[in-house]
Amino acid sequence: MSSNGNDTPVVRMENIVKRFGTVTALDGVDLTVNQQEVLCLLGDNGAGKSTLIKILTGVYTPTSGQIYFEGKPVQIRTPADARALGIETVYQDLALVNLMSITRNFFLGRELVHRLGPFNWLDVKEMDRRTHDALADVGIEIRSPGEKVEKLSGGERQSIAIGRALHFGARLLILDEPTSALSVAETRKVLTYITNAKERGLSVIFITHNMHHARMVADRYTILRQGKLVGNYDRDDVTQEDLADLIMGVREV
Amino acid sequence: MSTLTTNLVRFRHRLADMPEAVTLITFVIVFLFFSLAAANFLTPFALTNVLTFASVNGVVVLGVAMLMISGEFDLSVGATLAVAGYVFALSINAGTAPLVAMLFALIVSAVLGLINGLIVTQSGIPSFITTLGTMLAYRGIARAIGGGDMASFTAAEKPILFTVLNGTIDPLNNLFDPAANFRVSTIWFAVLAVVLSLVLMRTRYGNWTFAVGGNPGAARAQGVNVNRVKVLNFILCATLAGFAGLIQFSHRLSIDPLRGEGVELVAVAASVIGGVSLSGGVGTLVGATLGVLLLSMLEQGLVLMHLPIQVFRAVAGAILILSVAINTYMSRRE
Repeated sequence: MSSNGNDTPVVRMENIVKRFGTVTALDGVDLTVNQQEVLCLLGDNGAGKSTLIKILTGVYTPTSGQIYFEGKPVQIRTPADARALGIETVYQDLALVNLMSITRNFFLGRELVHRLGPFNWLDVKEMDRRTHDALADVGIEIRSPGEKVEKLSGGERQSIAIGRALHFGARLLILDEPTSALSVAETRKVLTYITNAKERGLSVIFITHNMHHARMVADRYTILRQGKLVGNYDRDDVTQEDLADLIMGVREV
Repeated sequence: MSTLTTNLVRFRHRLADMPEAVTLITFVIVFLFFSLAAANFLTPFALTNVLTFASVNGVVVLGVAMLMISGEFDLSVGATLAVAGYVFALSINAGTAPLVAMLFALIVSAVLGLINGLIVTQSGIPSFITTLGTMLAYRGIARAIGGGDMASFTAAEKPILFTVLNGTIDPLNNLFDPAANFRVSTIWFAVLAVVLSLVLMRTRYGNWTFAVGGNPGAARAQGVNVNRVKVLNFILCATLAGFAGLIQFSHRLSIDPLRGEGVELVAVAASVIGGVSLSGGVGTLVGATLGVLLLSMLEQGLVLMHLPIQVFRAVAGAILILSVAINTYMSRRE
């Protein structure tokens, strides 16, 4: 790798250890995400994928280990810290508030306001307009930004959460099992958004159980098993069977 | 499915998005019923009585509804109302300036709300249980500071603050014959309802309140400080309950150890009748206001029909269950 700034990995996590009481969830794991790369994080249930990602997004603090963002050491203590760095996460269940409108979800925590009297009032019209435009911009068509999210399909919800992350200038997009509950057609759409995000210059961490989906978009794989790093593999160096064996620990490649 | 049925389903779903519309329809039906069935219902006196009796509870309901939308309960509001009343009464009787006594009582109420909020958010004990406990504890505080006795305002001259909080509006009342029963409490209720409604629907804080009640995980992931929003709503709720206690004392000039008992249940009932969801994330203060007005109208109407108060309780209970049943049916998919 050259010393050129663009070759600095977006994120480097080094020797991450996380213990919950006496249970060691992560035992010295490393993770690197390069610029404009789709990294698939693979592993069976309990392998530590979620824990690792929650450390990166500020939900958990690591017991020990160091995180570098764009080459600089950083402390990520809260989800807000992660966001400030440009790390946007789309959680499978925790993406949207179903009872609220698309617009109110889109701008949640970053609402646009204008000042009138002693209060800051929501600028609903402007937020509606921007939500519509921003989603159209990444190829997501919605009927009305005022529509409640509960009226949308699972795929539409994922699209909106991804569209939101793209719109708010994420440097690194983390997708936690985004395709696990979707139909075939909807999955295809979501995978397209991942490719689009990469083309726009973002890096993506894609967490999945589905090796077929992983193969369709991944540049590289990082595999975890029982809280330990199994290894990093370039897309072309492993077959789908290799991946399955590595995840289950049947053999090493 | 025929076009008619499809349209009906669509209409039902649109109504389901505005549960307060159902409350409004119920309100109009009950209003029309009493207009026909109860003599003297359509008089300025009876109608202003509805407003006056709704106002003290209404101020409590606004806070309870807002807190419910953020996903939590407060069963201690009735006891908080009593504590505030005692602090206010005893401070004034001890010679404290009325305005200072009011601020003192409101601060005490806010602290009681803060305690509820901190217990719920820090321990994870459900607010239903937490505030059931603090309801008993705060009631104990009210008894203790009052020495178990009632406290009355005894000085000859009533402070101006009492008129500002809950005086009669005589120039308006005397326009009617027999005179109406407008009180300043109705203005406080109306102003608070409008201001808090705007806060809920048109500010960041309101947006966070809905999000925190609807899906706390999603709100947290978007950087919303979930616990802070909940604690603030607990404080708001308790402060409003305390304020209701002051309004009530300014009118009745006395407070007793049982004051405010049952208000917590009326507040939850009014909110639910008004379309506020028990599980959080859904509701409006317009609906909750309609809910408390509906209950007040029901009480006034049945009294005018010379029916015993037990009938009111039964009818109020039936309307509560019916409202939830209708809203559940409305939001069904098919």
